[in-house]
Parts: sequence; C-alpha cells; structure tokens
Amino acid sequence: MDEATFTRHAEAYAGRLYAVAYRLLRNRADAEDAVQRALLKAFAARASYAPQWAVSTWLYRVLSNVCIDELRRRRPPPEPPPTGGGHHAPRVEPMDLARALDRVPREARLLLALHYVNGLSYRELAKIRGISVNTVKSQLARGKTILRKALGD
Amino acid sequence: MDRMDTALREFFGDAVVLGGRAHRLVPRLVGGPVTLEKLAGRFRIEATDRGVTRLYPGRGVLAESARARRHAAQAVEELGEYLAGRRAFFSVDVDLAGVAPFQARVLAEAGRIPFGETESYAELARRIGRPRAARAVGNALGANPVPVIVPCHRVIRGDGSWGHYAFGGEMKTRLLALERATPALVGCASTRIVCRRGCPHEQRVGEANRVVFASVPDARSVGYRPCRACRPDAAA
Repeated sequence: MDEATFTRHAEAYAGRLYAVAYRLLRNRADAEDAVQRALLKAFAARASYAPQWAVSTWLYRVLSNVCIDELRRRRPPPEPPPTGGGHHAPRVEPMDLARALDRVPREARLLLALHYVNGLSYRELAKIRGISVNTVKSQLARGKTILRKALGD
Repeated sequence: MDRMDTALREFFGDAVVLGGRAHRLVPRLVGGPVTLEKLAGRFRIEATDRGVTRLYPGRGVLAESARARRHAAQAVEELGEYLAGRRAFFSVDVDLAGVAPFQARVLAEAGRIPFGETESYAELARRIGRPRAARAVGNALGANPVPVIVPCHRVIRGDGSWGHYAFGGEMKTRLLALERATPALVGCASTRIVCRRGCPHEQRVGEANRVVFASVPDARSVGYRPCRACRPDAAA
C-alpha cells in the first residue's frame, strides 16, 4: 500500500477510530493521541498489511491494541458509592452508563465500544481481537449483564 | 433488542462528531516517531559474575570473567531492543552487592513499577514502609548505578513533574514516551498465546497476528494462555 492510498484510508476512518477511542479513554487529548499513534503504527507496518483483510478491520485492530495498552496504565477506578435504593429509573442516563462501563472488564468494554459505536459484526470483532466468534458473543453478553447489575436494572 | 441495547446504542452512537476536522488526526507519516535506538551504543556497562553493576554514559564494557562478559553482552542486546521499542522488560541479572541496604530496597521496589507506568517518590517511600523518607528515596534513586535497567525513570514527583534524572529531564521524557508507545503484553492470534514484549516467541509473531492485552487475566478471559518461556503471569 503506498503512502497516498494509506493517507486516503486513514482520513476516511479517522473519525470512526476517534469515536471508539473517545468512548474508551473518555477524554479528547488521549483519544486524539491514541488515533495518531495507531495511524503511525499502521503506517509503519503497512508492508505487512494482508489484502484479504478489510482496511477497516486492520485499522481497528491497531487502534484497539493502542487503546488497550493505554487502559493498562490506568489504575482501576475506585468502587462507586451504592446508587440510591432500588427504585427503577425510567431510562438509563448517559452519565450512569459511562460510570457503569468502568466496571465492565476491559476486553468486554472494548468489544462493546466497537460493536455499538461502529456497528461492527461479531465476525469482524473476532478478527480484530484474534478471538473466536463465540468468545465475542459471551463477552458482549457478560458485559451487558454487568451493566444491568451496575445500573440496578 | 432490549432496553440495554437501546441505551448502549444511544450512548455510543452519540458520537463525538469531528466533521471536517478528522483529517487533522492523520499525523505526519513520514519521519515517524522519534526512536532512541541510536542511544544504544552510548552506554558503558560494568559487570561481575553475578550481573551488571553499573551503567553510565560512555562506550564499551568492563567485565573480567567470561561470565561477566556474558551478562554485559546480554545487557547491551536487551538495551538495544528496549530502546527500539521491541522489549518491555529486562531479564539480565543485576548485581547490587556494592549498594547500601536501604538503597537496594528502594531500587528493588522501583523495579516492580510496571513498564509504562509511573509512581511518585512518596508512594515508593510508603511501599517500602518508610512513608516519611520520600527525599531519601529520591537520593537513593538519584544514585542508581544501573539506570534504565532498574527503571528509576518511572518515579516522578507527586505534582507530576519529573524531578532529577541522571541523563537529564529530556531523556526521562523520551524514555517514558517510548514506554507509552510500546505495548507490554502481546498475544498471537494464531497460537492464542500471550507473551511479554521482548520474549523470543513474541519477536516471531507476525504483524497481522499481533493483539495487545492489558493483563494476563484479560487475555485468559478471551481464550489466550500465558507463554511458558517469558512467564507473563509470574511477572505480573
């Protein structure tokens, strides 16, 4: 892949990569930094890009690698205070959901972000993380169970 | 589709739209990130039979026995890989026999700070059970005989500033930036084995098969097992 082709793909996907990074890392600066580092890594490794892969799958793989390593360096958030007694909220508030996501293990959180931000299929998710489709399904289900519990659903 | 699906779709779909600014995220590709590789040959290394004793700016090796020379050669090789972003741990032995007990404890504890992470002088003082000795910890680290290998650069001031570094603040910045850009745990998508970055098995993993993990339990949870050579589970 030559430089011009790579740049074209990078520009086409930068926004979507950023959306995933932002949802995982939760701040602008880190998300921008992650996308830039991912694109530099992908560019440096473009010789080994296998054309049978979709470009998007490959870029998501590299971005996921960068984001996961960034999450490794972050300490786990302190246990949130218990949410006020068992009343059922009419809908799930975004702030609650953001906090609840912190309690979802990193692998499941990443899969949730890729699946819901960009609507990637189970098969694509499996390829991006190098895992089986069944593992993708069980991770997503587990993530959602934890979210439901955290939100007192 | 249930309520949770709808909520997740709304939450994630509420995308941070960048619009026409997306192209700004595409970095200048040529030139690439700064590497520290050329620094590899600019250290002088001293070693004994038990391991590396000193590392400082200069050239060459001071080692009297064949065994000492092997330690020094291993240190040179690992430093080169580390500075090139191909290694996230050192396995060469370090000989701290000539170091006072307090300093040895500080250095051992600094060695436990994970690759790419930082800790403050005060936190380190607390971990060795001397919470009021932050300044002494700073002095002990300042006199670290084997910088880089014993990662005193991962210790910073409580306010987030760097503090003193033997090779200069600029070098500390670059080492921490290098560690930030280097993943610590790499899995191979075809063998489903996870290694520490720098393990001989990891170095053979093809670019298309590389999957980074944040921890060994994370990797296990999706069906990867730790490598038996570099033992990432024991290191964690």
